[in-house]
Amino acid sequence: MSSLTPKDPDAFQDPLENYDPKVYEDPLEEALAEKTVSEICHEPFVTISPDLPVHKAVEKLAGLHVSCLLVAEEGKLLGVFSDRDVLERVALEFDAVKDRPVRELMTNNPVYVYETDSSAAALTVTAACGFRHVPVLDVEHKVVGIVSPQRVTAFLQQHFVK
Amino acid sequence: MGLQQNFQTEPVSRLSLRDPVIVSPHQTLRDAIVRMREMKLGCAVAVDDEHKPLGIFTESKLTQLLAQNGSQVVGETIGTHMTQPCPWVELTDPIVYVLDAMQLKNVRFMCVVDAEKRLVGLTGQKGLIEFVADHFPGQVMVQRVGGNPYPAQREGA
Repeated sequence: MSSLTPKDPDAFQDPLENYDPKVYEDPLEEALAEKTVSEICHEPFVTISPDLPVHKAVEKLAGLHVSCLLVAEEGKLLGVFSDRDVLERVALEFDAVKDRPVRELMTNNPVYVYETDSSAAALTVTAACGFRHVPVLDVEHKVVGIVSPQRVTAFLQQHFVK
Repeated sequence: MGLQQNFQTEPVSRLSLRDPVIVSPHQTLRDAIVRMREMKLGCAVAVDDEHKPLGIFTESKLTQLLAQNGSQVVGETIGTHMTQPCPWVELTDPIVYVLDAMQLKNVRFMCVVDAEKRLVGLTGQKGLIEFVADHFPGQVMVQRVGGNPYPAQREGA
């Protein structure tokens, strides 16, 4: 009987031979769990200096037809400046604040994700934290992109069964 | 039932709808901005006497106007600058209509109307993402965000 045969100590035994990969009922759930943020389109993105005057930042938002600028210094994320910041802190005070540096009116310490995080993390920032634009960093904490709601919905549609 | 099927069969009324900021086209942008700040919402909807949406004024439009015209624009009327027609869906339409509008028309907000086309709520990108999160809370709502991707110190003994 083979079970009584002593095993060859040098024979390779795969430690994962009994591993059953998780089975997902929905392809979208699988994508959220298994795909990383880097697989959601997160480029192009626009970074500005924290010393840029507010009116220049507003012109940049309008001219590039984007809703959010990443404020970074030497690749490190300091904050974000978005349409919502314009609404909340600039619109009614424009003449008083237009020449001030954007660092004074940006949103500090934005919630971000790493490109190696699960793609679901990008949805968490919107669904749980309430932020629509999610900066993406690499493991060196350098800015590498931004995930917008349009990019999230495009990602969701990619994983719908045609 | 999978999420894709839910998108195609569930009505818009299943989304978490927001109370809209309702304004008259004769009010100024300043009035709308004050209300949008109060309600922490990125748009205001102009309606007629029957509460039917006439147009929408969004924060991205505000940014465009400030960049082009400066601070004087906030004294102008909403009717001059609102986007018409206002994108809308009915309460009974499938949610996939909202998803398609986000993708194809690149709109961020959609007015939700009843069978008589009267405004009853507002939905948009956040509403859709919250709907997905509700379906997969085990994936979406448990994520750690904004933390360090690797430990700064060696762990263990």
